Amino acid sequence: MSDQHILSAYDRDLESIQALVMKMGGLVEAAILDGAQSLETRDVELAEKVRANDKAIDELELRINEEAARCIALRAPVSKDLRTVLTTLKLAGSLERIGDYAKNMAKRTNVLVEMREIPGPDASLRRMAREVEGMLRDVLDAYIQRDAKLAEQVREHDHDVDQMYNAMFREFLTFMMEDPRNITACMHLHFIAKNIERMGDLVTNMAEQVIYLVTGELPEDSRPKADSTSYISKVD
Amino acid sequence: MKDIKFSARNVQVYYGTTHAIKDVNVDIADKTVTAFIGPSGCGKSTFLRSLNRMNDTIDICRVEGDILLDGEDIYDKRVDPVQLRAKVGMVFQKPNPFPKSIYDNIAYGPRIHGLAKNKTDLDEIVESSLKRAALWNEVKDRLDAPGTGLSGGQQQRLCIARAVATQPEVLLMDEPCSALDPIATAQVEELIDELRSNFSVVIVTHSMQQAARVSQKTAFFHLGNLVEYGETGQIFTNPVDPRTESYISGRIG
Repeated sequence: MSDQHILSAYDRDLESIQALVMKMGGLVEAAILDGAQSLETRDVELAEKVRANDKAIDELELRINEEAARCIALRAPVSKDLRTVLTTLKLAGSLERIGDYAKNMAKRTNVLVEMREIPGPDASLRRMAREVEGMLRDVLDAYIQRDAKLAEQVREHDHDVDQMYNAMFREFLTFMMEDPRNITACMHLHFIAKNIERMGDLVTNMAEQVIYLVTGELPEDSRPKADSTSYISKVD
Repeated sequence: MKDIKFSARNVQVYYGTTHAIKDVNVDIADKTVTAFIGPSGCGKSTFLRSLNRMNDTIDICRVEGDILLDGEDIYDKRVDPVQLRAKVGMVFQKPNPFPKSIYDNIAYGPRIHGLAKNKTDLDEIVESSLKRAALWNEVKDRLDAPGTGLSGGQQQRLCIARAVATQPEVLLMDEPCSALDPIATAQVEELIDELRSNFSVVIVTHSMQQAARVSQKTAFFHLGNLVEYGETGQIFTNPVDPRTESYISGRIG
């Protein structure tokens, strides 16, 4: 089967919306890395850049929504073209949320530089952020290459991020019990960790959406959730 | 699952040496709109016409295999094609009212099939048929006017009224809206949706959007083969066969 429509303008429309998603994905990847770096290196300028760049991400989401609506109205897409357009909308929504979390990380960096440093978590958070950024990169590749297998691998990967978050949760509890003066900083750091963990969940949703795009069906089996902090009542 | 109205088994249709329909097996449900889609020359109209033996009128046409209506073979020697066509009505691409009054267009079929005992009966059939075709209000004051004087959309609804007047069980429609404007098309589509509470409707259409709008089941034909047959929602969101995918999404097959 040919991949091209008889009407070539239709192909150009679909390609241009997908290019916008890839562009948005690139900006969000950079925001995650820069946000985590600004935290570890206490780089207020870089944090400021992340906050400013979020506007561009939000604008791209609006543009994708508009172009997708236009495509639905004018082209009446069916079958995999319809899935392409629906997926674009969903991915753009997830990317916007991830971008917000990255911006939030940068905001908290600005607050954290004023406080006394807690050794350890910054580097762990940056590792966690890198992990999520790698997942996002793979999901975008899976999306543009229509690779359901790669998307499935990303989905399995979320487990690792959850594990990292669990470990950090315990670490923060320990710091806070050791010295109550750590509480404010640890609360901020914990929110950052939680937000990165949420980014991982959103990337996982994106992976599921890519599987739907390729196969026409969402994966049925529910992903094993590894975030067990909801059940932690004391530090062992 | 609704009752099966038509059941086709290993149906082949030949025009002379041309093999136009190749081994088609399909069950068409009662009280359901079934759409036949596919590129020109794929055999969808040929197959539709074989459901009420319209192909009998073509000398070189030969039908093999079984086509059962309520379990009875319609190609059996004992079946009278005229009676069959009263049961399986047809509406064509171009509205083709008789050059008679609106009233007589509807009354013709019931008269020759002896469906009305008297004038009152016949009046009632004419009124109810026109109402079913959503035309009554527009023509009730001029039933004596010629049917050919109506607008295209009204003429097509007149033909549908004429087809339902003989109380058929199945209505075959071959591109019923291709000569109509969007408003008349919407009226006919609304009508098709209403008709499905009483009849089995089979519609051939080149408009994929129309098939998506009016049908519950869709069959995709290609080069004489029935490629895919399924729930309309499934065919248009996630077709199984790549040829169906190509066709419905407007790609080069």
